[in-house]
Amino acid sequence: MSASRLRASSFAPLLWVGPAMALIALVVLWPVVIMIRTAFQHISPDGFILGWAGWRNFRYLFEEPDLYGILIRTVIWVIVVVAATMLISLAMAQLFNQNFPGRRVARWALIAPWAASVMMTSIVFRWALDPNNGVINVFLHDIGWLARFNTDASDWLGSPGTAFAWMMVVAVFVSIPFATYALLAGLQSIPTDIYEAAKVDGAGAWRTYRTITLPLLRPAFVVALLINVINVFNSFPIIWEMTRGGPGHQTSTTTTFMYQLKQSYIGESAAMSVLNFALVMIVVMLYLRATAKRREDI
Amino acid sequence: MRIACRSFAVAGIMAAAALGLLTTAASATTLNLVVADYGTGPKDTSQIYWQKIADDFHAVNPSITVKVQTINWNDFDTKVQTMVQNRQYPDITEGDYFSNYAQEGLLYKVSDVFTDPSNLMPVFKDLGSYNGVQYGLPFTTSARALFYNKAIFAEAGITNPPKTWEEIQTDAAKIEAKGKIGFGLPLGPEEAQAETLLWFLGNGGAYQDGGKWVIDSPQNVQTLQFMTQLVKAGDTEPNPGTKNRTDLFNEFAQGQIGMMNGEVALLPMITAANVLKPGDLGTTGIAGRTGPIDKTLGVCDFVAAFKTDGTKQVAIKKFLDFAFQDKYQLDFVHMYLELPGTTSAAEALAKTDATLAPFVKALPNAVQYPNDPVWAQVKTQIQQIIGTAIGPDPKPVLTTIQQTALKGS
Repeated sequence: MSASRLRASSFAPLLWVGPAMALIALVVLWPVVIMIRTAFQHISPDGFILGWAGWRNFRYLFEEPDLYGILIRTVIWVIVVVAATMLISLAMAQLFNQNFPGRRVARWALIAPWAASVMMTSIVFRWALDPNNGVINVFLHDIGWLARFNTDASDWLGSPGTAFAWMMVVAVFVSIPFATYALLAGLQSIPTDIYEAAKVDGAGAWRTYRTITLPLLRPAFVVALLINVINVFNSFPIIWEMTRGGPGHQTSTTTTFMYQLKQSYIGESAAMSVLNFALVMIVVMLYLRATAKRREDI
Repeated sequence: MRIACRSFAVAGIMAAAALGLLTTAASATTLNLVVADYGTGPKDTSQIYWQKIADDFHAVNPSITVKVQTINWNDFDTKVQTMVQNRQYPDITEGDYFSNYAQEGLLYKVSDVFTDPSNLMPVFKDLGSYNGVQYGLPFTTSARALFYNKAIFAEAGITNPPKTWEEIQTDAAKIEAKGKIGFGLPLGPEEAQAETLLWFLGNGGAYQDGGKWVIDSPQNVQTLQFMTQLVKAGDTEPNPGTKNRTDLFNEFAQGQIGMMNGEVALLPMITAANVLKPGDLGTTGIAGRTGPIDKTLGVCDFVAAFKTDGTKQVAIKKFLDFAFQDKYQLDFVHMYLELPGTTSAAEALAKTDATLAPFVKALPNAVQYPNDPVWAQVKTQIQQIIGTAIGPDPKPVLTTIQQTALKGS
């Protein structure tokens, strides 16, 4: 091999990965740089840069009286929604892995909440929960559980506790399809001869599930879990459409709060973004560790 | 013939846009008009109103095309602000006007883009001004009044509409006992700043007094304490801090609410719902703590012209002179039952329309929102958190808002 061909071949890979790297630099890394820079700038509400702000944006952010409630609420939001989604999806995946008449139709139907716009789903739920004539309230009234319309009891989205619970229900509803499909794919990759061997050895259904299905499902489970954590953490349309974070900021998470700050205080909003970014990065690190572990397993 | 020309032009523009080559040609100008939607659905969207003006205008001035973009009122401020933040300026907006855009030098002076500024309603001149120079053209106005449902009042055995807060509470309780909402109190994000101010005025309070912010004044705290016990007693809809004006207007139109502070724009919704019988609707002065308030809140929506690259001033002036003609002003009045923004159209209206004449006459006494640049942030915060002042202690919430006002933009 001549020297010139050697040089050409060592540059050849760069030619292939170069465009992808340039794209990543442009659409991923550059915005991150801008975001961090913005967090240290003083910017007027209409986007005029008035100079550097030092750590002032972060100070204002941590002085927001509502911030700590919002952080705690975000953690609760992520944990409850993801846990409920994963548990329900485990059962659903098991169900859809069985052979039953109409399975094809049922599998298609499961896609609906995923395929429908999340914003649309949220608006439908908001209307269904209307304190005066929402269909859920009308139903509860008809079966005698709700005495009167236009009361605190019928105004689910009016008080923070019930509003947050209902938004979690919607978040679980729209998250289930993806998790179920990821787990279903995992279930189908488990070789059937292992189950046959377990049967020959006389293992019961629960024992088979616990000692064979669950461990072999782990890689799919971990991937679905972490992608869900990121999705749910970043979830904006459900909260925005159903309560706009209100009353006050009492149903906001860090994602909606960041957006609300943006209207009046761009720098402070960027500081909130930096904080959000750091939180997401931690989850991404966990994800990378989990997938690296998976490769070792194989 | 003209239609053929226009479709060629449209095809040309689309082709240019497809190639990513859309630049201002030497002969043709495109004006981007961004307007708030006063309609309630596709049938009465403001797109129809503006598109007609744009088409009429284009017929007279073939070299200028006006592109109309209509935005839902709930999102209008945010979307226009996002356009400004992203430097994608509209050429003309119609909706809320903010003096901070003038402060930042983004807007044309009214005298630069409108031939006869003296015809714009003088009472709203200050509101559309920054540092003594007028930047906003009053386009449409409205005055507030207490709306009540006479049928519900009769059913509850109430003979006269309430004049004081105490009467509001007694009457609302009677209506509540009949299974309807007594008083509709929209403190949700849509327009909480208006409802709040109407109550403040009832107790001699305000947002500003002589140019000083007085949001957390003792009167205002007292006002919110009264509102809190009104809510606690169940005389309003539940959780007013999460209820928006349009939703409550709709419920009023459906005959579910006994009374609420409203404006003329509510009338078309009542007609559309077709639930209230003719004569069921009553309007009266807004009740205060000890008697009806002598001033009402006058709200004005403005047209503002952005400088963008500074090349479109002549075209903008032509268009605004055209769009502010009395006939279009009155079209708007009839479409949405708002009031006009020009003196000549108001005079024409007062002569011909007996229902609207009292509202027109009330306009010169109208109280207005502060025209301080920080008002944009104060307003946003009132919309978001004033509902939480309905609670054991309103003072901290009002203080938070007061601090936002003092912090400046």
